[in-house]
Amino acid sequence: MSPGTLPSQWRALRAAAVQAFLSNAFDGFIVFTLIVQPLAIALLGLWILRGTGEDFGIYVVVGSGLTGLWSGLLFISGNSITSERWTGTLEMIASVPTPLALIALGKTLANVLQSLLSMIAAYLLASLVLGYPLVVTQPVPFVISIVLMVLAFVSLGMVLAPLFITNPDVQRWQNAIEFPVYILAGFLFPIALLPTWTTPLSFLLSPYWAAVALHETSSGGGDPAVIGGAWLAMIVLSAIYLILSRLLFRTLLQRARRDGTLSLE
Amino acid sequence: MHSLTTNLRLFWDSALLSYVALFRWLRPMQYLASKIFMPLAQILFFSVLGLYAGGPGAVNYYVIGNAMQLTAVNGIYGVTMSIGGDRWEGTLAYLFGTPANRMAMFLGRAFLHLVDGFFGVLLAFGWGVLIFGLDLSAADPAALGLAILISTFSTAGLGLLMGCLSLVTLNVMFINNTVYFLLLIFSGANVPVAVLPNWMQAISFCLPLTRGIAAARLIIRGAGLSEVAPLLIGELVVGAIYALLGYTLFRWFELQAKRRGTLEAF
Repeated sequence: MSPGTLPSQWRALRAAAVQAFLSNAFDGFIVFTLIVQPLAIALLGLWILRGTGEDFGIYVVVGSGLTGLWSGLLFISGNSITSERWTGTLEMIASVPTPLALIALGKTLANVLQSLLSMIAAYLLASLVLGYPLVVTQPVPFVISIVLMVLAFVSLGMVLAPLFITNPDVQRWQNAIEFPVYILAGFLFPIALLPTWTTPLSFLLSPYWAAVALHETSSGGGDPAVIGGAWLAMIVLSAIYLILSRLLFRTLLQRARRDGTLSLE
Repeated sequence: MHSLTTNLRLFWDSALLSYVALFRWLRPMQYLASKIFMPLAQILFFSVLGLYAGGPGAVNYYVIGNAMQLTAVNGIYGVTMSIGGDRWEGTLAYLFGTPANRMAMFLGRAFLHLVDGFFGVLLAFGWGVLIFGLDLSAADPAALGLAILISTFSTAGLGLLMGCLSLVTLNVMFINNTVYFLLLIFSGANVPVAVLPNWMQAISFCLPLTRGIAAARLIIRGAGLSEVAPLLIGELVVGAIYALLGYTLFRWFELQAKRRGTLEAF
């Protein structure tokens, strides 16, 4: 990518993001994934976890919001390229001068930002409708954690999208891997409750570190070491995910050009 | 006699073909993901959540509730897709053009999902025993089996009604997903119905699964069939009402579609 092409690349990125944002806003499945399901989980969480401490309200809001972010990432960002295959536009997108990865990045960024609605909806439900007192104990670190979480989720989405389109067998597990990440990432309970052999799996998931940072800054003790460690882990994992994503996109395009199977599942 | 044989054959063919037509479900990998691991993950999530909230003593409540609720995977998604599939695949016009008995055809679409859903719940209880040490020693196996069967039937009844909605709306997956999660809230799978506000309790008692889950919990604690019979009869009636409503809507939709020529209009 030469510096001269940057303005056009930026325009393409922005156009892909805006287009994805608008089309998602009217999609019933996406409305369900980002709003209805997280609200249902928030309601269940508020009932089940009542009595686990004074701060359980904000803990549930953050946790259920994260479930929405993960489900959105899995089903919307994960399908960001596959959906182009379904609508027959993948060949055109893959053959324009703008890199396919850049278009996927724009769509994923829009999806993740849109997925923040999950947390906002859960907050409004718990605060305005159910009247729970919700206080974020460390607002500035919380906002920084949100920004890093967006980076981490976008990077992970950039792995899922090419992974799903090149491996339909992996995509068939989409439904089955939704809840396991809720569990392994400790969105609504500490991972200390899980068997110890699962801990390394949690550590490899950026959603786990996002949950650590957000819970610690909203309802936890605000330990700087814990928060800093989670931020660092999100940055390192994002870098690893982006390298992996680059490899996957290269494989996808090479295979497509060699086999001519871009539109075939 | 000839008519009965024809209708039985139609019922069975309809059951088998509509189930097989969901070919993705029958790919081993897809089946494994949707029917083995997804249910396990749901049970694990809510049971560990319950463990966090109430300690080891609370886990069984969530294991039983979610194991029973998993019948909705077949009852809601499977049945709806079997009915709606005719519209999506363009075979609805041919279907409505035949003189075939509509009741046999309609109910046939739920039959194998009923069987599959029954075994799905058994498997979910198996996960509960293996992972969380669910104790079934006090349970009467026949009574528990009957409770599962009736709950599966009642959920499939709701699925038949939802399937008809798939003939008149494009957003059926939105409705299906919402109903699935509403069942998690309202059916008593994760929250005791008694602690819900009155208006929510009223909804709970109109839904399938509420009585079936309550009956399963009692049976596992040692109750006999006679003690849970009122709950199971109630569950059966709720399922029958939904199935009847679904059939009525199915016939009404056929009538309207033929009258207005909107059979395949989206």
